[in-house]
Amino acid sequence: MIGLSHYLVVSALLFSIGLMGVLRRRNLLMLFFATEVMLNAVNIAFAAISHFYNDLTGQMFAFFIIAIAASEVAVGLGILIVLYKKQGSLDLDELTTMKG
Amino acid sequence: MENILSVLVFFPAIAGLLGFVVNKESARVYGVTVAAIEFFLSLWLWFAFDNNNAGMQFVEMIPLIPDFGVSYYLGVDGISLFIVIMSTLMTLIGMISMNIAKNIKNMVITLLFLEMTMVGVFLSLDAIIFYLFWELSLVPMLYIIGAWGGPLRIYASIKFFLYTFMGSLVMLVGMLFVAYIYHDLTGVWSFALTDWYALVLPVSYQLWLFAAFFIGFAIKVPMFPFHTWLPYAHGQAPTIGSVILAAVLLKMGTYGFVRFSLPMFPDASVIAITPIAIISIIMIIYTAMVAYAQKDMKQVIAYSSVSHMGIIMLGIFAMNAEGIGGSVFQMLSHGIVSGALFMLVGVIYDRRHTKMMDEFGGLATVMPKYALVFGIMLMASVGLPLTIGFVGEFLVLIGFYNVSPIMTILAGTSIIVGAVYMLSVYKKSFFGPVTNEANRTLQDLDAKETISLVPLVLIVVWLGVHPKPVLEPIDNSVKAMLSFMDEKAITQEAKEMIKVAKSTQEIK
Amino acid sequence: MENLVYIALFAPLVSSLFAGLFGMSPRQTFVGIVSSALLFVSMSASLMLAYHVYQTGAPIYVTMKEWISMGDLFIPFGFVVDQVSVTMMGVVTVVSTVVHVYSIGYMDHDKSFNRFFSYLSAFVFSMMVLVMSDNFAGLFIGWEGVGVCSWLLIGFWYHKPDQSREENPSISPSWAANEAFIVNRIADLGMLVGIFILYWNVGSLQYSEVFAALPQLSEIILTTAALALFIGAMGKSAQFPLHTWLTDAMEGPTPVSALIHAATMVTAGVFLVIRANPLFSMTPEVSFFIAALGTFVAFFAASMALVNRDLKRIIAFSTLSQLGYMFAAAGLGAYWIALFHLGAHAFFKALLFLGAGNVMHAMHDELDIFKMGGLKKQMKWTYIYMGLASLALAGIPPLAGFFSKDAIIETAFNEGTLILWIMLVVTAGMTAFYSFRQVFLTFHGDERYKAFGIHPHEMYKFVLVALSPLAILAAIAGFFQGGFHDFVTRLLPEYQMSEHTHHLALVLGAIVLTFAVGGIALAYKKYANGLKRDEKTENGFLYKLLANQYYIPHLYEEIISKPYAMISDLMWKSVDLKIVDATVDGIAKFLYKSGDGTRKMQTGNLSNYLNWMAIGGIVLLVIAMLSAMLG
Repeated sequence: MIGLSHYLVVSALLFSIGLMGVLRRRNLLMLFFATEVMLNAVNIAFAAISHFYNDLTGQMFAFFIIAIAASEVAVGLGILIVLYKKQGSLDLDELTTMKG
Repeated sequence: MENILSVLVFFPAIAGLLGFVVNKESARVYGVTVAAIEFFLSLWLWFAFDNNNAGMQFVEMIPLIPDFGVSYYLGVDGISLFIVIMSTLMTLIGMISMNIAKNIKNMVITLLFLEMTMVGVFLSLDAIIFYLFWELSLVPMLYIIGAWGGPLRIYASIKFFLYTFMGSLVMLVGMLFVAYIYHDLTGVWSFALTDWYALVLPVSYQLWLFAAFFIGFAIKVPMFPFHTWLPYAHGQAPTIGSVILAAVLLKMGTYGFVRFSLPMFPDASVIAITPIAIISIIMIIYTAMVAYAQKDMKQVIAYSSVSHMGIIMLGIFAMNAEGIGGSVFQMLSHGIVSGALFMLVGVIYDRRHTKMMDEFGGLATVMPKYALVFGIMLMASVGLPLTIGFVGEFLVLIGFYNVSPIMTILAGTSIIVGAVYMLSVYKKSFFGPVTNEANRTLQDLDAKETISLVPLVLIVVWLGVHPKPVLEPIDNSVKAMLSFMDEKAITQEAKEMIKVAKSTQEIK
Repeated sequence: MENLVYIALFAPLVSSLFAGLFGMSPRQTFVGIVSSALLFVSMSASLMLAYHVYQTGAPIYVTMKEWISMGDLFIPFGFVVDQVSVTMMGVVTVVSTVVHVYSIGYMDHDKSFNRFFSYLSAFVFSMMVLVMSDNFAGLFIGWEGVGVCSWLLIGFWYHKPDQSREENPSISPSWAANEAFIVNRIADLGMLVGIFILYWNVGSLQYSEVFAALPQLSEIILTTAALALFIGAMGKSAQFPLHTWLTDAMEGPTPVSALIHAATMVTAGVFLVIRANPLFSMTPEVSFFIAALGTFVAFFAASMALVNRDLKRIIAFSTLSQLGYMFAAAGLGAYWIALFHLGAHAFFKALLFLGAGNVMHAMHDELDIFKMGGLKKQMKWTYIYMGLASLALAGIPPLAGFFSKDAIIETAFNEGTLILWIMLVVTAGMTAFYSFRQVFLTFHGDERYKAFGIHPHEMYKFVLVALSPLAILAAIAGFFQGGFHDFVTRLLPEYQMSEHTHHLALVLGAIVLTFAVGGIALAYKKYANGLKRDEKTENGFLYKLLANQYYIPHLYEEIISKPYAMISDLMWKSVDLKIVDATVDGIAKFLYKSGDGTRKMQTGNLSNYLNWMAIGGIVLLVIAMLSAMLG
């Protein structure tokens, strides 16, 4: 029987994969993908818990997150394109002009 | 003149704002005129002052933030009256003697703003307003030192600002806490000092609050070991900055002790007598020795200021009318004498562009008038009877003798060590043959310097021979404060220590 | 009568201010004349007051105005003219008038002539305040006032450079002036403490109230008060160990030495003890200490005078020695005898000093008596004056010194303090010896000055005439002993010799006289026929010890002045800069450094930031878990 905990484990694994991506990747685009993975990990958890408690609020939130992630990708990719045009690279190690 | 105090506080500031439209050439004349009007206003205040009334006079009160009990609350009594007059006088004299070539207009405007804050501090009876003026006074001084100072001016001005600012923040916390307790006990907010006076606090609270206020005031005084900003500030400040700093700004600290610490925390003050006396004695002897070791004439005067402030601190904690009254008088006397001494150092600095004593020698031969004025101020500084310096020092020592004979003897060595460093300055600079060729052609005091120094000499002698007009109002207010403190004190030790003069009048 | 008091008191002040007006202008003789005239006015007023007090026996009290009033402390400017103060006023004004006139002649080539008169009159004013005040605070005004005037006058020739101690034992006038001021300040602290004790135990500083309240005070308070006041007196009267300034003060112009450092200011200490006699008579231990110290100083100072070669310093030592005599008398309770000796001493010592001034004037400021000799031909009158004064000092009848000093020595015998008596008698012999050693070396024998190309000449006529009152007083003052006794004992306690002493009076007198004459004879034998220097003695330990003033000035320099300067320097450079200030700067530096250090975290690399964020998140999670687990 697949229970709540299985979903949560999947969610946690996905989240960890996303986190590792955020920590290890140097390319901004990859960072984007990694954050998307983390968001979806959270979505899974939301949906599963919502189902478990019979409370639709969680699933509503999942939809919200999907909507926000979509708009985020739209705006974020736009920015990335401009950045790429300007700097010729999306490598984080080269984008350190805000150094203290 | 109902609103004389408001006029006194804000006239210089408004005149300072108008000063921006005055043209450069007439800036000094403008400044002197404003300062003179302000000085005469303060004299008028003295004239209208009722000597027999020991309480607050000319009180003005306008609620500002009624919900939190913050109000614009001014008043003057015998203790603050003369400090205000001394501030306006020293600003006027400083303005006359000022010898600054660059940006004189800015200097005049800055000084006028500074005057507002100084007068404001001594007249405020509301803690928030007091704090406001207290902190505002730092800004013009920061600018004066930082813009017109010597080579190390940035370091000195920032050190001055941050050091004193940090102290006053602790004091602010103390103030807020007092207001909080007041609210706790009475249900209403108030920052009015007169309301706070009525507050009887438990001794443990008093001790903490005393400590908080102590840090704010002690750095300003400056008490050992918080004094090291002073030599830098004086060393780097232009003459006018040193004059105001020594004459007035330092007095804010000692005034704060008299105005806040003593009447609000009588028991804690009595407990603090011994530690403060020890610090004061260290200040007196230690800084006098350091002064003796200096090579720079101005630094000697700067350290001597610390030494004299030690005497003032000692008197405040004598807990009797002789000591406290003597301290208040000594504040005036130190203001005038040290101000004059800094001006005198400025005189020679303007001519030779050095303050090092080994560059001088034999100045008495070349500049006899200068030597005469310096000599008179020197004697006032070492406390010669019939000069202003003696009255305060004598009263302080006689007052503190009742607290502790041994400590009084130690503090009394100030008359010896003070003479040692002052006389050695005089000998090194004024006596002996003229050894440095550059000194041979020096001009004696010119008209501007004479006009600014002679009034100070006259005051030094006048208040030394006839201090009564000043002592009487001080005496009344101090006696009233002491009898009030005695009533308010909780602990038996405090009641025993606070000595109410037999001749105290009924408080109106 | 009140007006007379004011005239006596303020004429010198007017004189000082008048002369001060011309202080920076070139020499003007009329300044000296006006000053002297004003001093003469003051003297006349004082003498009239003296006559008045003598006639009526009633003191005059004058209160001018309130000075300081604070708390319960009330100090007026009040003056009292009674038997003691009027005696002092007489002595002070007589001597100072003579000195003023003398200075017109003595200072005639000095470009600061006007300034000199201003200072000198200011001194007289301070001295008058000192003796006339009716309270301790007023006394202290005068006390400090004379101190400052003495500072100004010792350092009058401030332009002279510092020299080494070998060249000039007092280094320079300005150095000597500062030394005098500072040493006096040390003593003044004692005096202040005495005043404080009296105030807090009596509640007033008026003499009358303080003395009336003394019987109610405990013994310990009385003793400390008396001791503290006496410390003040020790400074002003240059008693051991605060004596070094007096000989160095000889750097001042000679009229100053005569007026301040012989006749008046240095006797202020004795005056204080006499003035506060009710206090001192109630504290026998302190009084005995005063007497013993006085006797010691009398002997000690005389011993240093024996070998000194400096004309003025010899007289300074003798002043010190005579002050010791006065304290001995006052300490033994014979206050009127002390006052009598004070007056008599003022006259003959001022005369001696002014005579020495004449010699200096003639010898172009040469002070070494080994370079003089045979001056009596050129300076007959000065010789007579100085000889007379020296005879008086040595205590040869019928001159003033005989009566006053003999009375003191008799008192020492009468009190049964035999050791003091012996020391005082021996000192009398030494006094005679060194005074006449000086007279003989200066005026008799071969004319050694010729080798230095000096052509001595007698002083101006008017100066010599002006000295005559002092000479007459030095000669005849002794005959007024009886009248003086009746006059002052109306105020001061009576002191009578016991029956036993009375019987022995002649024998005692003879012993003292023998010593005195012996001293003179010895001096005559050794020095009257020229100077024969004895290398062996001069290199002896004792001679060197005495000539270097027991090495006390060196000692003070080594154990006080130098360490003080060293510690001061250390305090500044090591403590103030390296500890106190460094701590403050250290705190500021720490804040700055920590900011500077953490700044490096701001790499600008987004990836790093994300790592930090993750670490922070994990740390927070762990903390949350731990706190949840720990409850």
